[in-house]
Formats: sequence, C-alpha cells, structure tokens
Amino acid sequence: MTGPDWRGGWDPFHEFQREMGRLFQSFDPFQSLRHIRTFPPINIYVAGDEFLLAAQIPGLAPDEVELTVTSETVTLRGERKRPEGIKDDSYRRQERFMGRWSRTITLPDRVDESKVSAQFVDGVLTVRLPRAEGARPRHIAVSSPS
Amino acid sequence: MSEAHPSIRVPLGPSSTPPAPSGDAAAGEVPPLARPTITPPIDIHDGPEGLTLEADLPGATEENLIIQLEHNVLSLDARLVAPAPEGARPIHQEFPLGDYHRSFILSDDVDRERITAELKNGVLKVFLPKADRARARRIEIKS
Repeated sequence: MTGPDWRGGWDPFHEFQREMGRLFQSFDPFQSLRHIRTFPPINIYVAGDEFLLAAQIPGLAPDEVELTVTSETVTLRGERKRPEGIKDDSYRRQERFMGRWSRTITLPDRVDESKVSAQFVDGVLTVRLPRAEGARPRHIAVSSPS
Repeated sequence: MSEAHPSIRVPLGPSSTPPAPSGDAAAGEVPPLARPTITPPIDIHDGPEGLTLEADLPGATEENLIIQLEHNVLSLDARLVAPAPEGARPIHQEFPLGDYHRSFILSDDVDRERITAELKNGVLKVFLPKADRARARRIEIKS
C-alpha cells in the first residue's frame, strides 16, 4: 500500500506488518478465505416454530439497516461508510468491508411477517421469524403412476 | 436496541489480570482451544497525533473483550457469544462461533501510557498516540 518511508521516520507500522504476517501464518490457515467472505455473514437457526437469523453487521447503527420480510425471503440492505475526514493515503491497512451491501435469504418455509421481530446489539442483528400457520410440515402421500 | 451506552470505554491494563495462563515471552500465543480462533479484519490509519486501529468484533461486549499490553505486544481477545439460544439448530452458517484473537507488536514510538480504546456497535477503536520526540529518538539509537 505505502512504502516504508513515512513522515519523519515515525513508523511503528513496520513492526505491525511483520507481526501480522507472522500471526496469519501461524494462526489463520484460512487467510485467503478471509477476504472473499460475504458481507454481512449470516447464520440461520431453527428454534421451535421459528427461524432465527443472525447477521454480523459491525459499525452500523440500528437505523442504518433496512430489513424486509416477504413470505419466505428476508432482505437486508445498508451501507457501511468510512469514517469521515480520513484521507485515503493515511490508511496503513484496510481489511474491513466498506460500501453498499445487500443480502437476500430464502427460508425453507413461509414466515408470518406480522410476528417478525428484530434487535441489533453490538453489531449483531438478530431476527426472529415465526413460521406461518400454514407452513408447518404436512405429510403428502406420494403415488406412483400407472 | 442498546442506545443507552452508545460508547463504551474499555480499560487498558498493562499486563494486569491476564485470564489466560501467562505465556511471558510467548505473549502472542493462545492456548489450544476447542473453539475456532477468528482473526478479525482491521483498518489502521494515521493522523498527526498517532495511529488509530479499528477492528470488526461483532458480538463482542465490554465484558468479554480483553485488550492487553504486555511488554510490547498489544493483543485483542474476545469471545463471540452464540446469537441463538441453547438447543437452536443451525441450518445455515456463514460465520463460525469462536474466539477473536489478534496481536500486534508496538514499536517504542507509541506512547503506551496513553493508549485508549472504545467499543461501539461491534467495532473496537484503539488509539495509539505518538510518543514525544525525545523519547522516540532515544529508542531509535537503541535499536
């Protein structure tokens, strides 16, 4: 990104870089994967009669995340902005995702939109999605032709 | 939405109450864990007063985040609390549940006494102020 020469010789980052390279090798065998992961990463759980969606969206305030639920799809949308007043060339390292993002997830079943609730704490969005009444498992007899 | 504490100050203890068994010289090492270790992505930018380090630690709280400065190693450790209740069955997983860990070697140009940290919306911001000129120069000769 930037050369080793840095304003008046104060360059603690030299050490940073070396150390980080070393740590990556020893502790992070999936280093190459870290940079291609999607933002925000989402986990989905089943808990009783509801789905639970958790998304890691650090750095955003609750009102900066748009959440839409329709039938069986959940859409999350937002924009992560860089802190203002910091020039591009003052960055020594940039690994965090910034910019517009959107994710659409299709759930295995329909959900009751009116009962969906969400909370956003410590950069983690948690959405509770109760299954719709008619979406509970049904047994359907399979008949063979002829 | 926890807007009551929009910004949390994280105390920085120089090698006080380390929860992990003391590794002394091998301060950057973590003990073997059953949970995966997650390397959080970071940004570092510089300003006239010093460096600012920002790390994405979604799910980290003031209680489970440990910032340690031991000798010249600054380490960040946090435990990711499961977002689902006990017994919930994962059907799709893009992020692992594990422990955040990352460490850095600070040069002597950082004024360690004045390092401050702040945790907000899952982002940790650590400010590493520049030491005064005289001190920095003295260290330069040494190294």
